[in-house]
Amino acid sequence: MTGEQQENAVAVGSGRVNPARNGMAGGGRVPRIALRNIRKNFGSLQALRGVDLDIYPGECLGLVGDNAAGKSTLTKIISGTYIPDDGTIHLDGEPVRFSGPADARRRNIEMVFQDLSLCDHIDVAGNLFLGREVTRGPFLDRKTMLSEARKMLDALEIRIPRLTSKVAQLSGGQRQAIAIARAASFDPKVLIMDEPTSALAVAEVEAVLSLINRVKATGVSVILITHRLQDLFRVCDRIAVMYEGTKVAERSIAETDLEDLVKLIVGEKDER
Amino acid sequence: MTAYTERSQGSPWADFLSEQAQVLSIAFFFLVCVVFFAMTTDTFMTLGNLLNVIRQAAPILIVAVAMTFVIITGGIDLSVGSQVALVNAVAAIALAAGLPWPVVVVAMLCFGALIGLGQGWFVAYQGIPAFIVTLAGLSMLRGIALYLTQGYSIPIKGVPGFFALGRGELFGIPVPALIAIAVAILGYVVITSTRYGRQVVAVGSNMEAARRVGMPARWAIASVYVVAGVASALAGLLIAARLGSGSSNAAVGFELQVIAAVVLGGTSLMGGRGTIVGTILGTLTIAVIGNGLILLHISPFFTQIVTGAIILIAIWLNTRIFTANFRFGFARGNRP
Repeated sequence: MTGEQQENAVAVGSGRVNPARNGMAGGGRVPRIALRNIRKNFGSLQALRGVDLDIYPGECLGLVGDNAAGKSTLTKIISGTYIPDDGTIHLDGEPVRFSGPADARRRNIEMVFQDLSLCDHIDVAGNLFLGREVTRGPFLDRKTMLSEARKMLDALEIRIPRLTSKVAQLSGGQRQAIAIARAASFDPKVLIMDEPTSALAVAEVEAVLSLINRVKATGVSVILITHRLQDLFRVCDRIAVMYEGTKVAERSIAETDLEDLVKLIVGEKDER
Repeated sequence: MTAYTERSQGSPWADFLSEQAQVLSIAFFFLVCVVFFAMTTDTFMTLGNLLNVIRQAAPILIVAVAMTFVIITGGIDLSVGSQVALVNAVAAIALAAGLPWPVVVVAMLCFGALIGLGQGWFVAYQGIPAFIVTLAGLSMLRGIALYLTQGYSIPIKGVPGFFALGRGELFGIPVPALIAIAVAILGYVVITSTRYGRQVVAVGSNMEAARRVGMPARWAIASVYVVAGVASALAGLLIAARLGSGSSNAAVGFELQVIAAVVLGGTSLMGGRGTIVGTILGTLTIAVIGNGLILLHISPFFTQIVTGAIILIAIWLNTRIFTANFRFGFARGNRP
């Protein structure tokens, strides 16, 4: 497909389809997001060499692979940060072409970043409403933001005692939970998480994983990048393995184990 | 349900104290200065002297409030003194040319905004460090003022309405002080309770996060220099109205007093953290020290040495308190 045709396709496909929000993955249904033959080059480096990937509503897909395997590039293409050189993206069956991150966000694709996109000097409620503050007249409506923030956190069973504490005073797990709650509150169709547990203590990892399960249960498609393979088995339904810019394997969680995954990641191919 | 890492909830009062530690310590320091000068001089606590202190502090306070915004974004504006001088000189030239004074006032405020916008554009949209842009501004704007006046002081005559801005009183309080108080209240409300204030704090705290959530991050950064420009213009007008003349040599060293006041008030040069209340206290502390040392008949040259030393000690104590995670109980300088 040429660029022009894709532009036209976007114009046609911009209407929102109302997807069935709950249910199990797979089985002849329309994928929430479908990638076909995605290619991306950075100069002479072939970052992605034709990747196909489907993600269904209410499903968590684990994306694993060694460093520089193309995981981050792929998620940046889904979140609109990079424009693919070739290939197509379908969102709920409609072909789309993101012009940038803002465009992807308008289409309800959210991303939680590794480096925590919170403002330390603003309180919890303020961070949850960052960039979409509730105002009454010219002033911030603190009361409404506090009560709404409490509801947002309660819905995901995130426990933070005082919403007026500055984010800097919270633990890593609490901060990550707030970042995820904020992304989830945008009513996303696809939520991409890049290493959400990498810097957390054990108990905090547990909390974030169960939070991912709760987000998933609301019908959101979750893409999880992690180096902690044991986490995948706790939350993911399927796992895609990347190697040198290609997707080398895709496994349903039931038909794989840690050893199998490690082999796939390092490229020691077995014929299954 | 998973047991989430939850701490027992301490007293919110303890949080309040640690968050406000810097403001409380400068408030304490300010009171110490006031008590000291009240006891060592007869004239300090007289009404006339106190009104004089706030009249002289007014231009510094106005610009310091704007500077608080700039520093909260993680920037700095070194050119405010030169902006004051330029506005001061241009206003005098315009008034001498016979323009009606309300027109001059409005035009000068717009002129200040324009200067700020130019600097803000370089900082926010061209990515040149604020230090460099405003250092260039410091040199250029003062140079323009010198060129326009050829170094002479330009007298302003026969505009009583304009003079009232700098010399008048309302309910016994000097007009410049009233204007400064109004600016400080406005600054406080904007930074704590408006969406714009939230954007300023957010870009200073985490620029990338602010951009990702769709805030107009670059504009927020550029805008604080516009605020600083308008505030400098206002200060320049008040100084011209008080002295009855415009000079390119006005407000020499002004930017340092302003920055010192802001930093003394606990605003972090790294951005994100800062309060208007702290800035007000910082400004008053510097003004009181300057005034008190003169009343003590100490050489005026000594004032600069003392002011500098006090700033260094105050900031040193503040830094120690924060890096070592001291509780407020240690905030008064008795390090263990």
